[in-house]
Amino acid sequence: MTDHVARSDRVSIAVRSAASYLPERVVPVAGLAARDETERRTREGLGIDTVRADDRIGAVDLCERAARQALDRAGVDARDLGALIMVESRAPETFLSSESTRLQHLLGAEAATTFTVGGLGCVSVTPALLTARGLLAADPDMDNILVVHGSKPAAATRYRHPVTVNGDSGQALLLSRRGPVRILDIAQQTNGRYWDLFHVKYRDRPTAQWREECADVTAYSFRLAVETRNRMSALLDGLLWRNGLRREDVRGYVSHNLSAGSLAFTEEALDIGILPVCRENLRVYGHLGPNDVFLNLYTALERKELATGDRVVLISVSPVAAWSLLLVEIGPQEGVA
Amino acid sequence: MNSITEEITEFLTAALRRPVAPDDDYFELGLADSLFALELVTFVEERFSIAVEVEDLDLDSFRTAERITRFVSRKTAPAGLAESRDQSA
Repeated sequence: MTDHVARSDRVSIAVRSAASYLPERVVPVAGLAARDETERRTREGLGIDTVRADDRIGAVDLCERAARQALDRAGVDARDLGALIMVESRAPETFLSSESTRLQHLLGAEAATTFTVGGLGCVSVTPALLTARGLLAADPDMDNILVVHGSKPAAATRYRHPVTVNGDSGQALLLSRRGPVRILDIAQQTNGRYWDLFHVKYRDRPTAQWREECADVTAYSFRLAVETRNRMSALLDGLLWRNGLRREDVRGYVSHNLSAGSLAFTEEALDIGILPVCRENLRVYGHLGPNDVFLNLYTALERKELATGDRVVLISVSPVAAWSLLLVEIGPQEGVA
Repeated sequence: MNSITEEITEFLTAALRRPVAPDDDYFELGLADSLFALELVTFVEERFSIAVEVEDLDLDSFRTAERITRFVSRKTAPAGLAESRDQSA
């Protein structure tokens, strides 16, 4: 295992600017279709009142809108992007074509090394960050890497029983070696045993019949839940140890937004408190896939709930199964382009 | 009912807010969610001073109070005795 002294030599990576795009249309969750009364009752207990959703805006459009905001905030022209990394869509609009090069073309990022990463559901922002860090390490001339994701559920029903309700959002993170949010460390683990626990069957079915289905609710509620506790506890201990930190050195923990029960689970499993902003964003936006954690972090920053020097741990879990922790440090936010 | 089963049944009755018999399968009854699973495993670990590892996460060991009792007995038994019980099970 790498100790924290050796870690000081690692490649610097930071978020130079970030933007989230949320469609204006507010959809009350109570008005969404439910298969039966059990699903309806479970859904009512998730802690999600509304989601933002607009069926006229596709995943790439969501990416583009967020990307333009992030570039504007940093004063960076898309032509100066060194790389464009798209976190894959849940369901591309067409097969064989490329959503990432479509986005490259829409933005005019013609010089950017462009490709898609993913495969880890809600955790897929982490492989994008790992890739960006690798690009920065491998090429001293590489700079301004844009990581983007358009979160839009594959199934029209938006409800994933018994887990969450999905909203729409776009998110863009402009990464560089320096910036107001430093990513100090990245931890990720996966267990392929659960690769198909949740799925959407689509072959030979009209899209109106697509549903996010759990193949084994008990495996999700028991085995994966307890394995998540064990994995995340060990990951957190390791992350803090190799960075020379104690739990009290972390100002706050930010989770992804699945449900009120999921947030309580994470708090109990790791013996931590989740920043209140997560419950608030959950209530009004629902689950936004890999976009949740940075949306929550930046909402807390905008509200001045975090200050320079604060260290924050971002927690993401996916039933594919993947677990991720990101350790970030807040730098000065004033005067950042 | 032995004392382990009694303690587990008391915990389950309180956690699920309804009477739970030693052979009630609360997973089958749809009463269990992930937060309950976490509380159950944490209770078993803390009350009986054992660690539930990933390889222990066979749902059949946790479906009922009686099955948890057997799991706890297996985990707390001296190594040789536990092995002998496993082979005879």
